[in-house]
Amino acid sequence: MEEVGLKRLTGDALDRYFGTLLDRFQIWAPVCIPAGGRYQGQDAVQYKPVSNWRDIVWDRRSDYSSREAILPITQTLYTFTGDDYREVKPKQAKDLLILARSCDIHAIRHLDEIFLQNGGYEDSFYRRVRDKVHFALMECTHEFDGCFCVSLGTNDTDDYAMRLAFDDEGIFFEAKDPSLDCADATPSDRAFSNPTENELKVEFPEFRSIEEVNELKSHPMWDEYNSRCISCGACTIVCSTCTCFETRDIVYSLNHHVGERRRTASSCMVAGFDAVAGSKGIRLEAKDRYRYKIMHKIYAHDARFHTGPMCVGCNRCSAHCPQLISYPATINKVSQALREIREQEVGYGE
Amino acid sequence: MQDINIKKLQNNCFRQSKVAGEFMLQLRVPGGLIDADLLDIIKHVCNTWGDGKFHIGTRMTLNATGIKYEDIPAVNAYIQPYLERVEKEMCGVEMETDKGYPYIAPRNIVACIGGAHCIKAAQNTQKLAHALERILYPNPYHIKVNIAGCPNDCAKAHFADFGIIGCTKPIYDQDRCIGCSSCVNKCKKAATRVLSLNEQTHKVEKDACCCVGCGECVSVCPTGAWRRPDKEYWKIVLGGRTGKQYPRMGQMFANWLTTDTVLQIFANWPKFSEWVLGGKPLYIHGGHLIDRAGYHKFKEKILEGVTLNPEALIADQVHWTEKEYRSNIHVKALADHVTVKDA
Repeated sequence: MEEVGLKRLTGDALDRYFGTLLDRFQIWAPVCIPAGGRYQGQDAVQYKPVSNWRDIVWDRRSDYSSREAILPITQTLYTFTGDDYREVKPKQAKDLLILARSCDIHAIRHLDEIFLQNGGYEDSFYRRVRDKVHFALMECTHEFDGCFCVSLGTNDTDDYAMRLAFDDEGIFFEAKDPSLDCADATPSDRAFSNPTENELKVEFPEFRSIEEVNELKSHPMWDEYNSRCISCGACTIVCSTCTCFETRDIVYSLNHHVGERRRTASSCMVAGFDAVAGSKGIRLEAKDRYRYKIMHKIYAHDARFHTGPMCVGCNRCSAHCPQLISYPATINKVSQALREIREQEVGYGE
Repeated sequence: MQDINIKKLQNNCFRQSKVAGEFMLQLRVPGGLIDADLLDIIKHVCNTWGDGKFHIGTRMTLNATGIKYEDIPAVNAYIQPYLERVEKEMCGVEMETDKGYPYIAPRNIVACIGGAHCIKAAQNTQKLAHALERILYPNPYHIKVNIAGCPNDCAKAHFADFGIIGCTKPIYDQDRCIGCSSCVNKCKKAATRVLSLNEQTHKVEKDACCCVGCGECVSVCPTGAWRRPDKEYWKIVLGGRTGKQYPRMGQMFANWLTTDTVLQIFANWPKFSEWVLGGKPLYIHGGHLIDRAGYHKFKEKILEGVTLNPEALIADQVHWTEKEYRSNIHVKALADHVTVKDA
């Protein structure tokens, strides 16, 4: 990509510019939730609508991904009263400007696959938000612990309306969309930088056959996760590419003919997710659920869409795991297990 | 044979040994967490003036056994930097440090590691320990304070005069809840079973009055639907003790106190002790002073001038259940009673 000097905006001028953006957009950005972390005294970084650029947390990876800007954890789709129902209007009419890293923007591709290209059906609730989304690409100030975007090629993107880098005084930015430019900005010689190498390199296994995949299912490598994984689903909630949800009708307690239809994020890691009619479950143990999730990320999604792993290398899943289970370490174990399976097959042939 | 005032030495934190003329130094570690380089000081004391042994005190003091009476001035001079670092710098206590400790009475404040490390912690115990040390030390009235970072009470707050237990009042954001039941199951397994999943809405309902405030729901929540408020809460269990006569577990005195309220209450403790003992400090612990005053008088005095935070709850009555090694130990001649007569 051609390197150009970014423009500089600080202090009051940036306040004014941010104000003009707020006239046009609902701006979603990572913000600090004080004491919002898992343990005492820890905060959390989540995506929220912001009204002041100073609230934006730019120097660390958000704990939760930017997908919440498009796919809220709980969303009411319809309300119904007696025989009548109506679609719930979008919460606000403005377009969305989402401040996201390159990997987060790549994750939207996978969300699009699920909600817009899956089985020839478009999810209208997703579509109506998606059409309003503009990205402001945020520079990664440094490599965050466990990032492996380069392994997946998600370290750079062209899909943005503007891109920007923060420091304590303000921003350096470039508006690809001319309407996002600012006359008050001053030139600078600072260039925008993308990650080009990660300390962590992850090699995703390629599967040669469905037989291989099925054999992997019964490999002993999964056994340890029965005692390690607690099936909490935290990894899937912070994941930038997970999309599973459940739909539920809620009726109001004082009038059971009035209510709403909601969809709420769900997780294949949580017991009961796979319950079929009659409440029968399929993946009854933690290791089964964990295996299913991993295989969905590295095999099943690609088998359907042929777009590579359903992963952008943010590693939020590992960072948020209360049991310190590493997703990249699991992928390495899968690769090792595959080698074992292939060696055995060669052995049989001889 | 030497003429030794053991009471004076006891106040100086040197405890009498079975061996006449030998003493055990107890260095205070308020909250139980200090910079590791300070261990060099106790090590040097043990090896230079002690018998080469080191004891971890049951109240988290650093103890050097076998110190000879005549060496005590040298030991006190040597430990001055420890007192400067721990009492003055770490806790902000105002005191002289050139002659060792001035009092033993407010016993070392015991605390679990708490929020400085523990994944179960609801609060930071050290911060409170240091603030209380500032209020209680030095002072001639005896009190044992234990601080636990969460209702697991690893610090045995239930067996101190004042047991302070960190807790939290989790906030629930139903829009972030995915109805996974993790919190419901955890609360049932580890805490007071106050959560339930509404099968119709798939959201969580809480019986708030019985919540023990441990924060397990927050720790297991995968979505951040449960979160801790950015505020410190404590409960105080009162009058716990061990001992040969009538050990007992402390009973709940106060719940959902903020740190500021806790500190205000403790600021009244020396005044209360002085009142109970008529200004003459005795080697008896706080729980006995509360017994002498009676709970209602204690409550009146300890809450005098205290502005309680709005959430704070205070015990109307407190009834202790004592283990009596000898039954009816409390029945004695009226002349032997020690009840305080109000002036």
